[in-house]
Amino acid sequence: MHDTPLIGPYNSDDAVAWQRGQTRTARQFLADVTALAESLPDRPTVLNLADNRYAFLVGFAAAILRGQLTLLPQRRAPEALRRLAGDYPGSYVLTDHDDRIEGLDAVPIVSTGGAAPWPKSIPLVPLNQVVAIAFTSGSTGHPVPNKKTWGALTGVARATGARLGIKGGDRIGVVATVPHQHMFGLEASVMLPLMHGVAMYAGRPLFPADIGNVLADIAGRWMLITTPLHLRACVAERMHVPAGGLILSATAPLGRTLAQEAERVFQSEVHEIFGFAEAGSVAERRTVDGDRWTPLEGVCVVQDRDSCTVRAWYLPEPVPVPDRVTVESGGAFFLYGREAEQVNVAGHRVSLGDLNQTLLRIDGVQDGIFFLPDEDAGLVTRLMAFVVAPGKTSEEIQRALRAHLDPVFLPRPLVCVPSLPRNATGKLPREAVQELARQWVGEDGHGV
Amino acid sequence: MTRPGSPTLEPDLAKLIVQTLKLKIDPVSIQPEAPLFGEGLGLDSIDALELSLAISQTYGYQLKSSDPEIKTIFSSLRALANAVEKHRTK
Repeated sequence: MHDTPLIGPYNSDDAVAWQRGQTRTARQFLADVTALAESLPDRPTVLNLADNRYAFLVGFAAAILRGQLTLLPQRRAPEALRRLAGDYPGSYVLTDHDDRIEGLDAVPIVSTGGAAPWPKSIPLVPLNQVVAIAFTSGSTGHPVPNKKTWGALTGVARATGARLGIKGGDRIGVVATVPHQHMFGLEASVMLPLMHGVAMYAGRPLFPADIGNVLADIAGRWMLITTPLHLRACVAERMHVPAGGLILSATAPLGRTLAQEAERVFQSEVHEIFGFAEAGSVAERRTVDGDRWTPLEGVCVVQDRDSCTVRAWYLPEPVPVPDRVTVESGGAFFLYGREAEQVNVAGHRVSLGDLNQTLLRIDGVQDGIFFLPDEDAGLVTRLMAFVVAPGKTSEEIQRALRAHLDPVFLPRPLVCVPSLPRNATGKLPREAVQELARQWVGEDGHGV
Repeated sequence: MTRPGSPTLEPDLAKLIVQTLKLKIDPVSIQPEAPLFGEGLGLDSIDALELSLAISQTYGYQLKSSDPEIKTIFSSLRALANAVEKHRTK
């Protein structure tokens, strides 16, 4: 395994990041990283809690140069962070704000403000150096660690950029609504711009008007790293942005109708990434073109007799895909929802993910989810569905579903709602859907 | 919608918050001066996004986090009602 440069093809005065009219150039970035790396304590692991994307990157790069592992916590609650730090003794916190986590040492990430001369050589990082650990929920309730090497992060970043036609040194501004401590956010909003020598927006816009303002101010082409949730908000606001940008969505399935509307509102292509924390980004598709996923360059999805795995040069061993997959002879594949989401309705097995995909393909459906309530004694438990489809009635959607589903799987009831309770990464926790179902049954369920 | 001369949007906005965020509480129980986020109702940034959409669709006021007063606007039902009253276009 050889070593590769810490940054992509930036010239010394190219912007690495910008916010509110201020930029940090590649020269300043390297100065910030070097200064911070020299001042870091001698510890094995670090929790990088920086809110600002540039500050996070400076902290991440400095930790890499010092051979320290960055932990990417799933949750930000102080107790969860303390537990995680307890699992990795000697951990400390890197931060760019004043909030302190009691019991954990904190080191501030500061910009030097100045700019050192451009170094004779860019620092190199071994491809097999483990630089981060992403955590996933385990069946036991304890987070499961997934080690990420420099090779894995840079490999995914380069392959994603290549698929989207981004070339080193392109004039692109990358803006993200997703957190950078999340696996997709780290790959797409931090590593992708860094490896292609393009600029990232240091903030994290939330409201459609914020996203619109940031995109409108970009001199070159814009790229938006986001989720179906934010896209839905932008579509609802009919926002206006310069045409010809590029949208990359992940973390939850994007409905085709929403993708079409987003392409129209943004006048830009909407691409989607399939991935999961254990393997990172795996495949890409332009959602309006169909359901087929094409693996990223260097990534292979292999179907064995009863399981499916992802293989890549940077993965030490094949990683099982948590979804049901069928692979075509050319290597492209189709997803049919999570294996674990299998439910039984009146003796018939079905994957909730499969049903959700069917729902999302229906004309006019922006978002939707099937839900199997906990069983009532003595009664056949029916599926429910919650659907976001402005302008459509629940009868119309039921009629469309009938064409795709056996009657036993048709939701009773199908409830039209203004939105679904997705969390900060766009996912829909089962508890949240349960709560929605409880409320609905409690309030209006008698009239069905 | 409030009639002209109605003293405040607070009751309407409380209903909108409860409906939009599917809170299992009586709108009347939201204290006008209590924080909406963090403690108080415990809302998060995704709730803020949902709420901003509902406010935009109902009152024609688009919230921005670049507004200097954004923290104040979301600090309580009363502050939010005042901001909506000031900026509403419908």
